[in-house]
Amino acid sequence: MADILLVLHTGSDGSFSKGALESIATTVDLSSKLGGSFAVGVIGAGAGAAADTIAGCGAEKFYVVEDEAVAAPRYSSDVKAATALIQKAGAQIVLAPGSSRFARCMPGAAYRAGAQIDTHIVALAVEAGVLKAQRWYYRQRILTTLSRAARPWVLLIEGGIQPAWQGAAGVADAESVAVEFTDAELRTTIKGIESPATDAQTIRPDAALLFVAGAGWTKKQADGAYHIRDASNLIQGFLKKAGASLGSSKSLVDLQSDGQETLSFMSHMNQVGQTGTTPRHAKGLSTCCHGEEPHAVGWRFINERRAINMDANCGWAQGKADVVYIANAFEVIAKVNELLG
Amino acid sequence: MCSLALVPADYTQMKINQMENKTMEGLQIVVCGTLVPDPLQTLEPVTTPTGPGLKNETMLPSVLDPWAAHSLYEAANLAKKVPGSKVYLVSLGPKAKLQQLMMTVAQKVPFELVAIDGTAGGFTDAMEVAKTLATAIEAIPGLDKTRLLVFGGCASASRDAGVTMQLIGEQLGITDQFVGVDEISMSDDGSFSVLERIEGGQYLASTCAGAPAVLAWATGSLPEPPNNPQVGMANMRFVMPALQKAQPAAVGVGGINFEKSEVPAQKRATRIVKDVSADVIAAEIVEWIKG
Amino acid sequence: MSTVERMKMEADIVCVGFGPATAGFLTTLTRALLKEDGSPAFESKVMPGMPLQIMCYERADDIGFGVSGVVTKGAFIKASFPDKDLTKEIPNAVAASDEKVAYLFDYLGVSQRDTGTKFVDAVFKGGRFFMGKCPEAAELPWIPPFLRKEGGIVMSIGSFISWVGAELMSSGLVQIWPGTPVSEPVFEGDKVVGVRLVDQGVDLQGNPDPATFMPGMDVHAPLVVVGDGPVGSVGRKLDDHFGLPEGNHQHDWAVGMKAVIELPESCTLKPGTVIHTLGYPEQEIFGFMYVYPDRTASLGIFVPSWFDSPVRTTYTYLQHWMQHPYIWRHIEGGRLRSWGAKSLQESGVRGEPYLTGDGYVRIGEGSGTTNVLTNSGVDEAWHSGVLLAEGVIDLLQRGETFTKANLDATYVRRRREDKLNADLQKAKRARDGFQDGFFKGMMGTGMTGMTNGAMNVSSQSRPPSQRIKTLLETFAGRISEEDLAAAVAQCAKDKQPLHDTLMVLAGWPEIKMDGELLMSHQDVLFKGGKVQAAGGFANHVTFAHPEICRTCKERTCIEICSAQAIMPGEEGEPPEFDREKCIHCGACVWSCSKALPKDPEKSNVLFGAGSGGLHSNEN
Repeated sequence: MADILLVLHTGSDGSFSKGALESIATTVDLSSKLGGSFAVGVIGAGAGAAADTIAGCGAEKFYVVEDEAVAAPRYSSDVKAATALIQKAGAQIVLAPGSSRFARCMPGAAYRAGAQIDTHIVALAVEAGVLKAQRWYYRQRILTTLSRAARPWVLLIEGGIQPAWQGAAGVADAESVAVEFTDAELRTTIKGIESPATDAQTIRPDAALLFVAGAGWTKKQADGAYHIRDASNLIQGFLKKAGASLGSSKSLVDLQSDGQETLSFMSHMNQVGQTGTTPRHAKGLSTCCHGEEPHAVGWRFINERRAINMDANCGWAQGKADVVYIANAFEVIAKVNELLG
Repeated sequence: MCSLALVPADYTQMKINQMENKTMEGLQIVVCGTLVPDPLQTLEPVTTPTGPGLKNETMLPSVLDPWAAHSLYEAANLAKKVPGSKVYLVSLGPKAKLQQLMMTVAQKVPFELVAIDGTAGGFTDAMEVAKTLATAIEAIPGLDKTRLLVFGGCASASRDAGVTMQLIGEQLGITDQFVGVDEISMSDDGSFSVLERIEGGQYLASTCAGAPAVLAWATGSLPEPPNNPQVGMANMRFVMPALQKAQPAAVGVGGINFEKSEVPAQKRATRIVKDVSADVIAAEIVEWIKG
Repeated sequence: MSTVERMKMEADIVCVGFGPATAGFLTTLTRALLKEDGSPAFESKVMPGMPLQIMCYERADDIGFGVSGVVTKGAFIKASFPDKDLTKEIPNAVAASDEKVAYLFDYLGVSQRDTGTKFVDAVFKGGRFFMGKCPEAAELPWIPPFLRKEGGIVMSIGSFISWVGAELMSSGLVQIWPGTPVSEPVFEGDKVVGVRLVDQGVDLQGNPDPATFMPGMDVHAPLVVVGDGPVGSVGRKLDDHFGLPEGNHQHDWAVGMKAVIELPESCTLKPGTVIHTLGYPEQEIFGFMYVYPDRTASLGIFVPSWFDSPVRTTYTYLQHWMQHPYIWRHIEGGRLRSWGAKSLQESGVRGEPYLTGDGYVRIGEGSGTTNVLTNSGVDEAWHSGVLLAEGVIDLLQRGETFTKANLDATYVRRRREDKLNADLQKAKRARDGFQDGFFKGMMGTGMTGMTNGAMNVSSQSRPPSQRIKTLLETFAGRISEEDLAAAVAQCAKDKQPLHDTLMVLAGWPEIKMDGELLMSHQDVLFKGGKVQAAGGFANHVTFAHPEICRTCKERTCIEICSAQAIMPGEEGEPPEFDREKCIHCGACVWSCSKALPKDPEKSNVLFGAGSGGLHSNEN
């Protein structure tokens, strides 16, 4: 019996996401620190074939659930499949990537397996043989290191904390774990995935650069007039040319729900910060946004940060950004777009 | 001036009628939500005998947890659309602080409060919190699981684990669960469709045969309702008694050993570039983006 | 808007504003609402069979947000809680101990000092060897009894009001609704029959948004208790309707701006320490520092209406005051935690409005309870509420109605016979001298204080609008006419207030922000005051005659604005107001240099009921 079980799921194309591969690296790393073995369990369509693609990861055993019922993410079937894997493997430590699918079903699986669960883990360490996990509380305000004595212990790993595992494919020789699904567990039908109408303007985790637009874009400019259309063209032009992901401050999307004229392609989906998301990108460029703490906590995982703001005393200038340009974002972004061609 | 004589007493009676009329078909929407520190407050961890806490925790101004608040507004909106429906708000928090919070929240939408007197701090174990909330939900008089939708935020702004709602659902035996919900539409036959946020700004669309279900909401699509004093007064008839009979609950950190809690110093040496032309700045930014 | 269909609600007593006065009123009243067997002592008139329906509407988003910390003798407040030690009940409250009054020297040599002040400077500098030794300041060897707070409490009024509010609400006898601004009294002739809440779901100009419009509800009640402070919308509208009693005026004001600071570990000041300062950053500006437990201090300054400079930005002055060596040595390395500002009505009893009318009654600071000799207001405001409650209980017990005559015979009679009134009368003329400057003011206060109000300094009182100097007069001899004109033109072009530019031209050093103690005005709004405002409300600051603003050169409303909510608009156009930044201090109203053509006692700034503002209850 392995000491660690890593649970993965396949995507709709039957392959593993970047987050899944990263969690393999985390598992390999932890396993060597604990000096034990690990197994991998895979849920989803094509789980067996997918297991073969990571056959060289060092797992002592592979398990799969590839019933039709788990082809698409559904809580009731996912939770049952994940519980079955945890129970089958009998591992003390269960790791899984914190994907939307697992963030949804793993708490229930932990409950059914009589396990403890912690999520949004950003680091794992072993000190004097004790496994210690790091995670944020109060939305990236307070960083804690914690451990638990009780087992099994399920830990959902944040994306981006480790490079993706790379290794040889092979024959995983996965054991299929049989799971029976009752009608009561199939009351929910998956209809499919809907992309927002304006797919270019959403948060894209794979982009190297996050571009954040603040409420300043929709305020009166130096000439006393509003320039919503100009703002819109500049931002959309930039996103396209720089291949950037689009985020916004809360005040900008709040203006939207107040019915004020604003940037039509923005929604709460773009909101970064305390009540929004905490995306992970190598670089972030903030524009027309003051950089207050509730917004800046959403930048916790942005490595290089630059801001364009008219106020030399804005929050960004107080140690929250690496570089702050005191300038008119309309002028700067127009020129940037020109240079990007 | 023409006045609309809708006095709260009538309104209250209307609510009581709704509650007692067992034959009326409608949803029982139970919203789980409590207070979190007002987002602009500065938070500092301190160590207490029962585990980590926040400095001046009892004094920090609080708000209803933002995602739970969205779910409350969505619940009220849904209840309005489905005749005979009723909204409950189940809150676990220190009684005195819940009371203060209710004076703001109760003005927003009609609901009946179920209060549990305990900590609302983020360092508690989700399993213990879920157990307490599930027990309180089970104890709601006249609870009918065939009409039950359990709402809440997809994560709190305090613990931010995103697991409590699923654990409540498990304890209540509800296996249809949705997390990161932005939209629900009910059909006449009681089935409903849901949009859940997934990776890459996309939505997972599902339909469910009907209640019971757990929906852990993201932002939804409704703005914060205005403060309506009449709604406030009507809610108060239930809020004060609920607070008075709130049972104490010992919710703790469970089996977590907190080794360390800190606000990491993350002050950067900011370089401020001013009195430079937009052209020069643009060139520097482009170089940085490409670099 | 008279055609709007409004919902109506009935209550027995409706209170406007939950500050110390209303807190005192409700604390006293609720203790009489239950019989010994727990049944209601009085039946509701509007909901027969129910107990009295008592509502209180508070403008701020939560109770305890719109107030500030004090040192108070607290005699009246303590009397309301005979069985409780308030320093134990209220978080961070502590008994006042070490008191100091310090005269701060102008160590930079940049402030505006008249001859009298220069004389005082010389006296203190000469005499400093007999006084407490401290950097660039002299501590008074003796504090006159009327200024002493010994036996008093240092506390955050935010914490105090939150505590009282929680006690009241848990009684279940009253409902206190925050986030609910009251727009105006509802009159029937001269009778007040209720209050109207502000409209929601409107744009900034007040036009309804069809999707979200919710007309402000009318809450009718046999008694309206007005405790909404000196710039409260209901109180001001009552004054518009009834005027002030003959001989009374509200010419004297100040804006108090404060910060709550986490003191550095090196700070040796003991909790309970009370420091008052004078002399710097301008001769007219007074400062205070109160030390709480847990290395926390509340500190700030007052900018009074008789500081005649139009360039009167309190925040900039606060930062200069904090950096004075006498203060800086205690706070350097500390961290600003909270911040706020508030107007104080400093005419005291001379600013007293009509206290009662049919269906309404006034309590608290807006009713002229501030003692301008002892500089005490919270305790007095509280006590006015207690006296009202005693009067109201009296009327309820006798089954009488809330007519002007009945309220006069109960509340007003009590107030006139009370020690509160005797003290207010003694203090009545204590500040008169300041009308003619700092030196005469100090003499006057001293004389009034030492003779118990028997002897006072006389002066002619004018509304602030008639005192404010022009820019040219203010900076004569310090900035050349050409430089001044160029700076004003540049600021107008850049849409920036004048103060930073003009103060630097006049010799003040630029403030080096550190982001911890010294931060930009915008940062102090968000990090300190946690200022926010929900959407859907109209602008509550407007200008009666925009054409007057177009020709206004001083634009004192912009300069005094505590929150940069009033900023220059287009050149030649009235200032622009950003309601999301406003902290509702009301300083714009009395700082406006332009009187209304029809009423020279009033200014061109209209200040209504608005939502949002500070979100810090540490103040």
